[in-house]
Amino acid sequence: MSTGRRAPAPSAPPGPLVTAPRPAPAVEVHDLAVHCRTRRLVGPLSFSAESGRTLGMHGSSGSGKSTVLRSLVGLLPDGLRVAGRLRVLGRDPCSRAGLPELRARAVLVGQTPVVFPGSVLDNALFGLRHSVRATRPALQARAEAALVEAGLWDEVADRLDQPARTLSVGQRQRLCLARALALDPLLLLLDEPTSALDVAARDAVEGAIAGVRGKRSVVLVSHDGRQLDRLCDELVDLGASTGPSGAVERHQDR
Amino acid sequence: MRAATTGFGAGPARWRPRRRCRWPALLTGVASVTAGLAGLAVVAFLVAGTASGGLDWWRLVTSPTWDPASGAFGAAAMIFGTLAVSAVALTLATPLGWAAAVAVSEVVAPSRRRVVRGGIELLAAVPSIVYGLIGVALVRPLVSDLTGAPGGDSLLTAGLVLAVMVLPTVVAVSVDALRAVPAGLRETAATLGLNRREVIASAVVPAARPGMRAAALLGLARALGETIAVFLVIGRADGRLPSPAGALAALTRPGQSLTTKLGGPEPVLAGTSGAHWAALNALGLLLLVSVAVLTVVALGRRREGAAHGRRLRARVPLASRFRAGRDRLSTLAHLGALAVPLAVMAGLVLAVATRGSAAFDPQFWLVAASGADEGGVRDQIVGSLVLVGGAAVIATPIGLGLGLLLSEYAGPRASRALRTATVTLGGVPSILLGLAGYRLLSTGLGWGKSWLAGSVVLAAVVVPVAALATAARLDALDPARRESALALGLQRGQLTRSVLIPQAGPGLVTGVLLGLARAAGETAPLLFTATVFSGAPVIPHGVVDAPVASLPTHLFALSQDAVQAGALRQAWGSALVLLVIAGLLLAAAAPARRRVEAVT
Repeated sequence: MSTGRRAPAPSAPPGPLVTAPRPAPAVEVHDLAVHCRTRRLVGPLSFSAESGRTLGMHGSSGSGKSTVLRSLVGLLPDGLRVAGRLRVLGRDPCSRAGLPELRARAVLVGQTPVVFPGSVLDNALFGLRHSVRATRPALQARAEAALVEAGLWDEVADRLDQPARTLSVGQRQRLCLARALALDPLLLLLDEPTSALDVAARDAVEGAIAGVRGKRSVVLVSHDGRQLDRLCDELVDLGASTGPSGAVERHQDR
Repeated sequence: MRAATTGFGAGPARWRPRRRCRWPALLTGVASVTAGLAGLAVVAFLVAGTASGGLDWWRLVTSPTWDPASGAFGAAAMIFGTLAVSAVALTLATPLGWAAAVAVSEVVAPSRRRVVRGGIELLAAVPSIVYGLIGVALVRPLVSDLTGAPGGDSLLTAGLVLAVMVLPTVVAVSVDALRAVPAGLRETAATLGLNRREVIASAVVPAARPGMRAAALLGLARALGETIAVFLVIGRADGRLPSPAGALAALTRPGQSLTTKLGGPEPVLAGTSGAHWAALNALGLLLLVSVAVLTVVALGRRREGAAHGRRLRARVPLASRFRAGRDRLSTLAHLGALAVPLAVMAGLVLAVATRGSAAFDPQFWLVAASGADEGGVRDQIVGSLVLVGGAAVIATPIGLGLGLLLSEYAGPRASRALRTATVTLGGVPSILLGLAGYRLLSTGLGWGKSWLAGSVVLAAVVVPVAALATAARLDALDPARRESALALGLQRGQLTRSVLIPQAGPGLVTGVLLGLARAAGETAPLLFTATVFSGAPVIPHGVVDAPVASLPTHLFALSQDAVQAGALRQAWGSALVLLVIAGLLLAAAAPARRRVEAVT
C-alpha cells in the first residue's frame, strides 16, 4: 500500500465525513485494484467524485469500467477480490454489513434494461417498497414523481398498470432509471446506460440524465467520449485496456 | 406532481428503519433440516436394522437358500432375479428409447414435439400398479402362450413389463441431452453438406452421448427399484438360482427379486429385530446402495457431458450412392422406434378404457366397495385424496425450502453434493420408503396404520421432484434481474421473497403436481403404513390407528385375485379411476409448465 506517500490527504475517519468544510465527496477511491486469484484485472486507480457533480468515467472496452462501478456497491461476481481504500457516501462497500442500505442510497443502473415481471408501476415501486415503510399512496406518489424525473411520465401516465415488458427498450431503460430515482438516491451509478439503445432512445435517456444533473451525484461510465462531454462536469480516463480484454466477462462466464 | 410528494421524498431523514425479512431463510433452514433428517432416517433405519441381528454377508450374497424357519438367509437367487429382470428391460428399452429420443429431438417437427413429449411423459406417469394389472391380465397370458410357461409368471414377463416402464425414463432423459446440444452444431454440420442422418450420427449424438448413457443408467436405477408391477408377474418363487448355462432358460420360469421379497408379507412377520429382520434390511441396503451408485454415476456423466461433451467424432461420411437411401431409412427407423412408446401409450389407454367400463357408471365413483367384486370405490377415492392432499401440504413448503437451498443458499460445491443427494432420494425405491415409514412411524411412534404416516411417506416421493423443479427454475433466473434487485438495496430475504419465490412459483407448482401424480399411484409405500383393504372409515379420525383405503392398494389386492372375473372387473375400473386422477394432476401442471417453458 502506498498510503504513506499520500501524506497531505487526511486519513479518513471511520464514519461519514461530516466534519470536512466542503461537502464530503460522494465517492473516494484510493489505489483500487481488482484481482482474480493472483491476476490483476483492474487498477490501481484513484479518483473521487464530488457531491452533487456528474463524474464521467471513460475507457475502452475491457478497461474495467463496469468492474470499478460494481465494486463501489459490492456487486462484483464471486471470486473477484478488491484491494485499496473505497469510500462511497462515507461507507466502505467492501464490508458486507449494511450493504443493502448503501445500495439503496447509491443505486447502480445497468447497461441493458432489466424489468421485473409486473406492471410499469410495480417496477417503479420495486426498490422503494422494500426500503421504505410508508402507506401505499405515499409510495405511489413518490414512484410517480420518479417517473416524472426520469422523463417517462408523459409516455406511461395512462398505462401504469400495463406489463412493463410492453415498453420499448428506451422506455424500459428510463423505467430502470425511475426505479432508482424513486429511492431518492444520493448517488447514481450509471453503467453505459445508452450503449444498448438506438439513437432516439439514447437521446431520451440522455435527456433524463441531464435532468438529474446537478441535483444528485452521478458517476457515468461510457465509452462514448462525446456523450461524456455533453453530460459530465469532470472526467476520469481509465485509459486503454489494462488487463487482457474482456477478462472480467471471461471470469463471469466460468 | 412534485408538490404532492415533497413531504415524503425530502431525503434520508424521512427514511424509516425497515423490518428484516427473515422467513425465507427460516423456511429454507427448517425445510432442509427436515429433508436431511428424513434422508438420514431411511439410511439409518436400514443400517440399524441390518446390525440388529448377526448377519453373514458372504452367505447372503452367495447362497440361494432363503428359509426364515431354519435361519438360512441367502439372497443370491433374488440378486439373480433382479439382474435378469433389469437386463431384459434394459436390453429392450435402451436401444428403443435412444432411437425414439433421436426421433423426438431431431426428426419430429418442432410444432409436434411438445405433444409427443407429453405422450411419453404420460406413459411415465401411469401408476406402476396399472402396469402390474396390464402385466397380469395381458402380458402374462401372452408369455404363457409363447413360451409354454405355466400361468405365464416368469422373469421374462417381469422384464417385459419393466421395459415399458423404463422406456419413458430413457426417452425423456435422452431427449433432454439431445436438446441441450447447441443448435449451431447442427447448423454447422448441415452447412458442410451432411444430410440428416449424418448430422445426427456425426455431430448431434456424439455431443449428447454422455447424457444418453446417463439416461440408460437412470433407467436401470428405476428398473432395480420397481416393486409392485414386478411383484404381480414374477411368480415369487424363492431359491431359483440357475447354473450359468441355464440362465437364459431360467428367464421363462418364475423367480424372485430383491424388491418383491421386500414387498411381500415378510417385513411385517419378521418382527423388528433379529436375524430375519436384519437379512431383510440387508436386502434393502443392497438395493439402496446400487441405486444410489447408479444415480451418482449417471449424474456425473451428465455433467461431464455438459462440460466436455462437445467432442466431434471424426467419422468421414462415405459419399456413396446409397447416401440418400440410408438417410431415408434411418429416418424411418427412428420414427418406427418412436411409434413403439406412442403405440404402447395408446394401447394402454385403450385397454384400460375398454376393460374399465365399470368406471363409466357414476355409481362406481359414489358407492362404497362391498367385498372384492361388488360396489364401487368411493372410499378408496376419498382415501387416496386424503393421502395425496396430506402429502401436498407436507411437501410444498419443504420442496420450496429445499429448492431455495439448492439454488440460492448453498455454495457451489455444497449445492452440487446436495443436488446429487436429492436426485438419489428421488430414486430411492419406494418400497424402502414404505419400510422406513413402517419402522419409524407405524411401530416406532406407535401410529399403527395411519393416513398421516402414508402422507409423510408419499411426501418423500414428492419433495425431490418439487425441490429439483424449483431449483431448476431458480437457476434459469436472469442474473441481470438479480443484480438489478440487489442494486436497488434489497436484503437477501427481500430478494428471496420478491424476486426468487415469484420466479420459482411455476416450477414449484409443476414439481408438486408431477410429484403428486406419481404419489397418487404409489402402492408399495402404503401397504405397510397406511391402508387396509376394507373396514376403514371414509374419513379417518385422529392419527393413531387411523387407516384409510386407497386406490392403488385396492387395485393391488384385486390384482392378486385376478382369477375371479368380478375382482378383475373391479380392478380395471379402479385402474381407470386412478389413471383419470393421475391424468388430471398432470393436466393441472400443464399451464404452469407452459409458463416455465415460455419464459425460460
